[in-house]
Amino acid sequence: MDKELARPLDTDKRDYRTLMVVGAFILLIPLWAKFIPGDVLHMDIVNLMVLTGVYACAVVGLNLLVGYAGQISLGHAAFFGIGAYTTAILCTHMHWFPTWLGVIAGAVLAGAVGWLVGKPVLRLKGNYLAMATLGLGEIAFILFQQVKGLTGGTVGILDIPPLSIFGLKFDTDLKFFFLIWVVILVLLLVSINLIKSRVGRGLRALHSSEVAADAMGVATGRYKAQVFVLSAAFAGLGGAMFAHFQKYINPESFTLALSILFITMVVVGGMGNIWGGLVGVVILTFLPSVIQALPQWIPGLPHGLSNFSNYELVLYGALLILFMMFMPKGVAFGLSRAADYTEVRARHFRDRQKARKMEGR
Amino acid sequence: MWGSVAVVALVVIATLIDKGSIGLQLILSGLTVGSIYALVAMGFSIIYSSTRVINFAQGGFSMLGGMLMYSLAVSGKLPMWLAFILAVLIVTALGAGFERVVIRPMKDHSVITVIIVTIGLSIFMTAVAKWTWGTDPVKIASFSGDKPLRLFGASLVPQSLWVFGLTLVAVALVFLFFNRTLLGKGMRAAADNPDAASLVGVSSSTSSLVAWTLAAGLGAAAGVVIAPINFAQYSAGTALGLKGFSAAVLGGLGSAPGAVVGGLVLGVLETITAGYLPSGYKDAVAFVILILVLLVRPQGLLGRPEEVKV
Repeated sequence: MDKELARPLDTDKRDYRTLMVVGAFILLIPLWAKFIPGDVLHMDIVNLMVLTGVYACAVVGLNLLVGYAGQISLGHAAFFGIGAYTTAILCTHMHWFPTWLGVIAGAVLAGAVGWLVGKPVLRLKGNYLAMATLGLGEIAFILFQQVKGLTGGTVGILDIPPLSIFGLKFDTDLKFFFLIWVVILVLLLVSINLIKSRVGRGLRALHSSEVAADAMGVATGRYKAQVFVLSAAFAGLGGAMFAHFQKYINPESFTLALSILFITMVVVGGMGNIWGGLVGVVILTFLPSVIQALPQWIPGLPHGLSNFSNYELVLYGALLILFMMFMPKGVAFGLSRAADYTEVRARHFRDRQKARKMEGR
Repeated sequence: MWGSVAVVALVVIATLIDKGSIGLQLILSGLTVGSIYALVAMGFSIIYSSTRVINFAQGGFSMLGGMLMYSLAVSGKLPMWLAFILAVLIVTALGAGFERVVIRPMKDHSVITVIIVTIGLSIFMTAVAKWTWGTDPVKIASFSGDKPLRLFGASLVPQSLWVFGLTLVAVALVFLFFNRTLLGKGMRAAADNPDAASLVGVSSSTSSLVAWTLAAGLGAAAGVVIAPINFAQYSAGTALGLKGFSAAVLGGLGSAPGAVVGGLVLGVLETITAGYLPSGYKDAVAFVILILVLLVRPQGLLGRPEEVKV
């Protein structure tokens, strides 16, 4: 058994396997969601999954920055917002503008802004970096509100056209669902490959000790900047998709609360674990709907609860505290421990089978 | 450090010359909000230096203080001073209780995990307050009337004097605690070097408890005393927490004098820029200044550079 454990687990391939399984599972959701009548679930799963996907764009990128490079950002709502406003402005001011190009422009512009502010800001460390990014987020929010000529002020931008790619219009939840989740799976693939590359190893070195990484010849400054730009672009992509999905945007969608939500999703899911971000997004996007549906699922007791306008948030806050108290390393960490365990058991089982066969011969 | 003092002084003088008594008015109200920021920022700083945690619920303590003051003084018709003391005591007890029940058991977990817990607490407090007191802002009478005082052509509401007074007393008490008492000095030692401090008998458990208690008390006091000027509302915590955090970082996280300086500077600069710019940009200017200061002095105005460890 000791020898069994000593043999390294094949986590390298496992990530790709997991990606395929997760991808297949998610893409099949609409199929089985159809068979469950709406009055059992009390939530629109496909719609929620689209929102999950939109946030996941930002969170997967943020997880690379926070979990792998160890740099905190409390301003990613700004990049999400830049992506959203870019495509919204382009596609509503110029009606001929192709929407898919608008989405790409949103991601590129968010990345460019990330590059511009990342250079100076990433010299700061820890909480000072958190504060500076928070400040950038607030500045972006104020600009969204005040540059009325472009952004429409507090009213925002209405009638954003649906996303269409080469004549294929993504104008229903279901179509958008497939689009966004294919995009996420691609982003996840990019992330997995990135972590396994030289850059990824450099980032992890940087995370555990910047000075040591520097001394070993890791270009820490450049790596930090690159991951920051990448995460900004991912967030911008998510924001642009969000704008086309929701069809209207206003500054209220891109507040500090969203930046904090992103970070919370990363931590609840599990920092430094590719799947962590995804798990966190799913949990925290579904949680409010689940809490809202509780009175319907459990008849009798809590029906009066829904009369209190705010019990959802009370529960949400309490659950967040409990999650972190009992799963401080994130939900995905627990899941991956379970995967390690099953893999060891499975290997053990296979080897025993083999041994038995040989004995039989 | 002195460069920034000079810049602030220049801005203040320029405002006075340019706007005369209105300039003085702006500076006085800047000092009033600045004092509140300073109190909240001290809370951030104290918790940060003993636990390295940024307490996102710090603004919530202030909100809770204000709302409790409303319940006790306006609905409960208690005398002002009694309501004040009770409100602060209740919030302080809540802060201490939260430290014991949630923060203490998490002492071995990473700082970011604990920070997320404080975000949870902040959401929880806001939601409970909304549940209890509703969404409308509530008015609390000033401690001693509303007749404004005149000062070189500028007017000052009496409540501002209460704010200044309370801030002075609170700052003095905090300084006495950290410089004259054994526990306070031990906590400073622990902030400096936790391992060495625990070797000579400074209990990290006590430090953490005292830090949370102090921070909750300071936050609540700030919330109570500003309530007559700003109204009290369930959602007031977010903005106050944000500004308090900014002030703490501006002054240098973990430095109590830095928190006071940061709060006053932020308050004054913010109101002055509001006098010149469309009010929508007021907060943006505060953050631009903050980021610029950080880029020049990454450790804040009075903070010490963080040690680099391999």
